[in-house]
Amino acid sequence: MTEAALSLQEIVKTFPGVRALDSASLTLQPSEIHGLVGENGAGKSTIIKVLAGIYTPDSGQLRIAGQHIHPITPASVHDAGIRFIHQELHLVPHFTVAEAIFMGQELAGPFGLRKGQMRHRAEEFLHDRLGVTIHGNRLVRDLGTAERKLVQIARALIDGQAKVVVFDEPTAPLASAEVKTLMDAIFRLKQQEITILYVSHYLNEIMGICDRVTVFRNGRNVAVFDDVDDALGPKMISAMVGRDLDDIYPARTRSFAETVMTLDKLTGPGFEDVSLSLRKGEILGVAGLIGSGREELVDTLYGLARAKGGTLHLHGKRARIRTPSDAIAQGVVLVPRDRRNDGLVLPMTVGENITLATLDEDATFGVENRAHARTRAARKVSELDIRPANTGAIVRFLSGGNQQKVVLARWLARDADIFVLDEPTVGVDIGARAEIYSVVNRLAQDGAGVLVSSSDPGELIGLCDRILVMLRGRVVAELDPARQSMDDLIALSTGATNAPQGQEVPV
Amino acid sequence: MSMANSPPMKDRIRGIFVRFGFLLIFAGFVTFFAAWNPVFLQGQNMLNIVEGSAVLLILALGMTLIVATGGIDLSVGIALDFGAAFAIVAMKEYDAGWVTAACAGVAGGSLVGIMNAILVVGLRVSPFMATIGTFFIGSSVQRIFTNGGGPISHRRMPDGFREIAMGDVMGIPLEVIIAATLALVYFVVLEMSVWGRRVHAMGMQRPAAIVAGIPVSRILIVAYIVAAATCAVAGLIGAASIRMFTPLAGFSYLLDAIAAVFIGAALHPRGRPNVLGTVAGVLFLGIVTNGLNLMGLNFNTKDALSGIILVAALALAVAQRKLR
Amino acid sequence: MSATIPPRRRALEQLVGFAPVLIFAGMLVHIGIQAPGFVSLLTLGLVLEQSLPVVLVCIGMSIVVMAGGEDVVAGGIDLSIPATTVLAAGILAQWLAADGGFVMACLLALGAALLVGATNAALVAWIGLTPLLASLAMFGAVVGVNNMVTASRRINVDHPIILWLRDAEIAGIAVGILCVAAFGLAAYHLLHRTRFGLHLQAGGGSVEAAEMVGLSARRHLAIAFLLAALTGFIAGFFVLARGSGSSPGVEDNLMLEMVLATYLGAAFSPRRVVTLWGAVLGALLVGAITIGFKSMGVNVFWLGLIKGALILTVVAFAALAKRGRA
Repeated sequence: MTEAALSLQEIVKTFPGVRALDSASLTLQPSEIHGLVGENGAGKSTIIKVLAGIYTPDSGQLRIAGQHIHPITPASVHDAGIRFIHQELHLVPHFTVAEAIFMGQELAGPFGLRKGQMRHRAEEFLHDRLGVTIHGNRLVRDLGTAERKLVQIARALIDGQAKVVVFDEPTAPLASAEVKTLMDAIFRLKQQEITILYVSHYLNEIMGICDRVTVFRNGRNVAVFDDVDDALGPKMISAMVGRDLDDIYPARTRSFAETVMTLDKLTGPGFEDVSLSLRKGEILGVAGLIGSGREELVDTLYGLARAKGGTLHLHGKRARIRTPSDAIAQGVVLVPRDRRNDGLVLPMTVGENITLATLDEDATFGVENRAHARTRAARKVSELDIRPANTGAIVRFLSGGNQQKVVLARWLARDADIFVLDEPTVGVDIGARAEIYSVVNRLAQDGAGVLVSSSDPGELIGLCDRILVMLRGRVVAELDPARQSMDDLIALSTGATNAPQGQEVPV
Repeated sequence: MSMANSPPMKDRIRGIFVRFGFLLIFAGFVTFFAAWNPVFLQGQNMLNIVEGSAVLLILALGMTLIVATGGIDLSVGIALDFGAAFAIVAMKEYDAGWVTAACAGVAGGSLVGIMNAILVVGLRVSPFMATIGTFFIGSSVQRIFTNGGGPISHRRMPDGFREIAMGDVMGIPLEVIIAATLALVYFVVLEMSVWGRRVHAMGMQRPAAIVAGIPVSRILIVAYIVAAATCAVAGLIGAASIRMFTPLAGFSYLLDAIAAVFIGAALHPRGRPNVLGTVAGVLFLGIVTNGLNLMGLNFNTKDALSGIILVAALALAVAQRKLR
Repeated sequence: MSATIPPRRRALEQLVGFAPVLIFAGMLVHIGIQAPGFVSLLTLGLVLEQSLPVVLVCIGMSIVVMAGGEDVVAGGIDLSIPATTVLAAGILAQWLAADGGFVMACLLALGAALLVGATNAALVAWIGLTPLLASLAMFGAVVGVNNMVTASRRINVDHPIILWLRDAEIAGIAVGILCVAAFGLAAYHLLHRTRFGLHLQAGGGSVEAAEMVGLSARRHLAIAFLLAALTGFIAGFFVLARGSGSSPGVEDNLMLEMVLATYLGAAFSPRRVVTLWGAVLGALLVGAITIGFKSMGVNVFWLGLIKGALILTVVAFAALAKRGRA
């Protein structure tokens, strides 16, 4: 066997209270495309950050082409020929393609920049090495997302020193038609004897492009598959999940009443023809990876984005939601995914955040009755067990779980009957998660319709009554969590299996 | 862990600076001026400082509101000028009584706010660009109207109007009472009312305010108009005290008003623009101006010094907040 | 999310982006018809000569905008350049009027200008004031200092070098124009033709992108403030030459024209961003409009109104175009 192009051996990395990497290993053979898969929190991004020199491991070592790299720093890794294509694009929008590709390593002569030469070499590189034709004088902001991704790749590889390239979720922002362009480019790189580490949630891509796959779970490598083919899906998924459902979900003892919300072929930015109905007392899940249109659907339901077509009915009546105030007035409230930016006013106190949507109820002639407001907030704080149990605490310094409870508390104080929860437990520890689930369950029991949009398959299976699966902008399947498992959900949302005939969503 | 008991000297100095930095500077200035000229500390001079700060305070209140919404208003001086102009013209050309004249002034100033609101909310121009545009247009309108910037004087104004600047209640000048009343109203609105709560929320974190259902556009429209109307009141006081309308007089207050608001925000424990802080900022600037006057410096030197002190005060205020 | 924009929308966007240019062209045509004498080489030269200080401060301003980004509050903006210009002119005039020697006068003025630039840089990059607040406060302070230096008086200057800048011609072209053109070319080379220039622009375009490849956006912004102060200093000479001396109150109008021309220039740039040539072209057009309306006999007091309205039109269209793109 030839010497490994890159090997990370028995890497341990601990953060206060968490063992993020528990003796994890990863070995890439020369000129292979190696897939790295795992659920969120399995340690994929931690090991990539170790490899990039951003995190210093507690123990373990890195070898590149047999050579021991120590210490692992961004510079030493770069010198050894490892390049990273990060998930974020980070390009200057008004630069030309050539300028963006040569940024930081411009070609210059005694009379200044060699613009013509840079343009020529950029175009040549894109064409010869990545197989695409992009004019070097086009502006980055006029490019499509796939083209920008290619420019980002070219920027990392233009110096010709790259031996190993790490792709972190490269297709997440792409439309399905664009994915192939990128796949072709990556395949070309492999033929140029470049070793590739391909990190993705999309298992269909992994099966389509990778030679070998390593599966991470709980901070370590639990399986390596040498022969990748289309039948690998179920095996990969069971290696990824490898656990039973956490015992933190409330029992499903809810009863449903009339329909409160109906979407008929709703189309908006990033999603098409989404139809669904939500009943009182029901928790409806929406699954989908980043780029599936799930986030955009949520934004549209709350008036943060504008629908382009289709209809929305609330309580049996045709409704239009143009702004969040419209939504709230019609009983729709949102717990946003970006809690720290959209959910909470961070410099304000717990009390101020909780009462932000019910200010008028605690006011006499517009002047706030502080005592009333404080009592209301304090009641919610104790009801949801928010800690510290102090309405005067600044929200910024609360833990993720308690911050999320503050957002929930705000909407509980209003008479809303449709709750849209976007990633309700992202960044929330397990104890607080159980509490949030029981709040959500109580909401439904009290007769609200709840729509949970989440990237956590366990949460959807454990909590919801029905689950809609979105992929690249469309609803592709409906799941019954009582009969189907997390594996089925992952398989459908990652495109590893197609929805069986007849399981398409009824309109 | 003996280190934990006695933090390093550097940290302790930093701690003192963070908490009291501005206060110390304030005290330093007062001591310095008092030492230079004992008149500084006399009751009459204190009253002078307060009276001299009334117009600036009113302008700074309007600015506080706009900064609290997350914007900035470079056209406060124009609203002041318009307030003075409309009132003087109403009395001189149309023989208006003082109440009508005052209302005309406030209405005239509000025009400036309406224009800003249209630009900021309707056309989504950034507050800076919108208000600088309003500033230039407003300045030009005044020049056109006065044929180049000559003052319009009106010696025989109704006594009632004259009283706005010259009257007093139990020895306290009326302009001080007006400014104090406005400050109180602003305090109630910005720091106690639900509307003020919404203003602060949107100024601190606009996306979160929108998600919480706060009608951001409506608040902005009201804020710009209210701020301009407030500044027009300052214009009335100015017009009443010199019995004329001087074009472009408001501009000289702009920098001081901005500085007072940002100094005040830096003094707030959580860095919010706030009414009490603005009052403190205005008094600080008033003390500096008054003290420099008492030092007997010539006009230009005084001007230069107060400009430099203003830059330093802003830098200090922001640095203090950042270290916190 | 989708990569392709329908061509009709695209064309509309282009049109919205070009609207300010069209309005300007329309105004110039209108002036040309109303005042037939306007379109001649002579007035062209006059426009150029009158615009030199504005052209220079616009170059400085566009450098700062390029390094800091186009957000007018938190990005790059330097309102203090006109004040620096006036201060440099004031110091030069004062020193020359006192027969203090030309070189010494230059050194003093340059030192003062760079001090202003360094203070701006420190306030913004080190203390963390927003550029708008910092440079606006500096504008006030610097104007105050200048009034102290000149005692708010008009000072006539008849130093041969200043007169030479005003009157001399080489091959029929005024030296002033040649000097500014040379400076403009040098600045263009530095900003658009060197690695330094690209690095500076990278920080303004996307701080993350710049830091990803190891460039410090903050350091480049600090340097930009110094460069802007330098252009402010040079503009001081041309303020002296244009007015045959230093007089108080020049700074307000200079600031108005600088802001107008710089952001107007973005509308001329093919990339729709503030660029050097865009700003220079913007400055010249503003000069042409000023002189044009004057030659039409329009009341000078109306000019401020027209320019203010133009600023608003330009930024409103820019906001519209941006909304269309998002």
